[in-house]
Amino acid sequence: MKLNGIRYLIEQGVENIWKNRMMAFASFCVLLVSLLLVGTSVLAYQNISSMIGGVEAQNEIIVYMNDDTDADKLNEIGSQILTLPNIADVQFYSKEEEYLALKERMADYDVLFDALGDDNPLVDSFRIKVEDITQMNKTVSQLQQLEHIMKINAPYEFVSFLTQLRVILSWVMGALIAAMAIVAIVIISNTTRTSVYARREEIQIMKYVGATDAFIRFPFFIEGMITGFFAGCGALVITWLVYDAIVKIIENQVTLLSIIGIGSIIPFDAIYLYVALAYLLGGALIGAVGSAFSTRKYINV
Amino acid sequence: MVELKDVSVTYSSGVDALEHVSLKINDGDFAFVVGASGAGKSTLIKLLLKEIDATSGTVTVNGYQLNTLKKKKIPELRRTIGIVFQDFRLISSMTVYDNIAFVLRVINSPKAFIRKRVPYVMGLMGLKEKAHAYPTELSGGEMQRVAIARALVNDPKLIIADEPTGNIDPELSYEIVGLLKTINMQGTTVMMVTHEHELVKRFGGRIISITDGQIVYDDIMEGTDYET
Repeated sequence: MKLNGIRYLIEQGVENIWKNRMMAFASFCVLLVSLLLVGTSVLAYQNISSMIGGVEAQNEIIVYMNDDTDADKLNEIGSQILTLPNIADVQFYSKEEEYLALKERMADYDVLFDALGDDNPLVDSFRIKVEDITQMNKTVSQLQQLEHIMKINAPYEFVSFLTQLRVILSWVMGALIAAMAIVAIVIISNTTRTSVYARREEIQIMKYVGATDAFIRFPFFIEGMITGFFAGCGALVITWLVYDAIVKIIENQVTLLSIIGIGSIIPFDAIYLYVALAYLLGGALIGAVGSAFSTRKYINV
Repeated sequence: MVELKDVSVTYSSGVDALEHVSLKINDGDFAFVVGASGAGKSTLIKLLLKEIDATSGTVTVNGYQLNTLKKKKIPELRRTIGIVFQDFRLISSMTVYDNIAFVLRVINSPKAFIRKRVPYVMGLMGLKEKAHAYPTELSGGEMQRVAIARALVNDPKLIIADEPTGNIDPELSYEIVGLLKTINMQGTTVMMVTHEHELVKRFGGRIISITDGQIVYDDIMEGTDYET
């Protein structure tokens, strides 16, 4: 097709939006709502997942060392732990420092500490954060192989609860996102079909005068793409405003933040590029393909 | 040129719309196709536009052998045919000018050609003053003249007019047939489908009569009130 022809078809697509503005507005609204349904579901999933990650990150394995382990050995064991897989962070807590901290915390009960005299009942320990808590059992087994270990404490039950929660959440949110996507496709397809139905005569006339299928579809494609692009813009602005408002509310909930960990809520600034791309490209693509696809029923004349 | 050889069309419902029809309309001919509702006239038009395929027999239109014509070649075939409908079928969102120019845009004609050709055809049809009007602002006769202009603008070899006078006053009917006759005199083949016998008698010429899917009459008849 000549450049001249393509320009005409693009102009037709743009013109059609204005000429059929009510239907274009209906398509815009449907696309906007559909994008919001799917987009917010995905964002909610990402954030809940990140929050679970935040809770997970705060869980640690505590390795208590035998009382007679000397400083050199402790250093060696600290290095050995770091070489193990799935280790995110290792902190050493000396029994002396821990004893002082305990005394400070329990200043009201100094009688108890007086009774102990110079004896320190605490032992040296390592506090280990793992990268993947589902692999915690394996890491604990590997830690048990090390020498001079008295005891290992790991939050198995909580970890198991979190792991299950994540699996359930993945299924529920996955199903929700899929359902939203299906609902969106059904609504979009019906709206574009209605829009095309309103212009079926026009399509048939085009066919009778010898228009090719591509010639008929292209303006619908452009029209759908532009409508979808603007629906994507709308969805982006709405998501941005609502998301920021929700983040601000959560940031003021100190208790909640202490559970999920500061930084578990994904700031919009960190994801806006992906969200914008997904909305704009998604909107334009769904709009374009949906519209062009809906013409097929009337194009077979 | 239109040629049907022993053509039958049976719809999936089992209805035989055309039975063993053989027909030839030569280049430059003007033919009336008459028949009552359900006689098979619409089936004949659909067949010539390759909207449907013949169940048996062969159909040739403007050199295209329709039985073997590939789907992607259908637009090419239709560009050699101008079609005028009873209900005009103008695009209501386009002006008179655009309704006519649209056909040329479809076939990617150069802009300069469109700018010359469309006003010329509008002039032939007496529509120059209506260039910027929308179909809803036109009378029935004017709408049909726009439809004829649209059929004509592409300089087709064949014009098929499907009951073009069905929705307009009798007086205007004569005017419309007169226009089609004039177009025919310029060399375009015209096939006009109608059930208005009065009109046919008045103009005369080749009459093809279809009844129950069969051609029952095909001959030249003298017109009563028309001078060519």
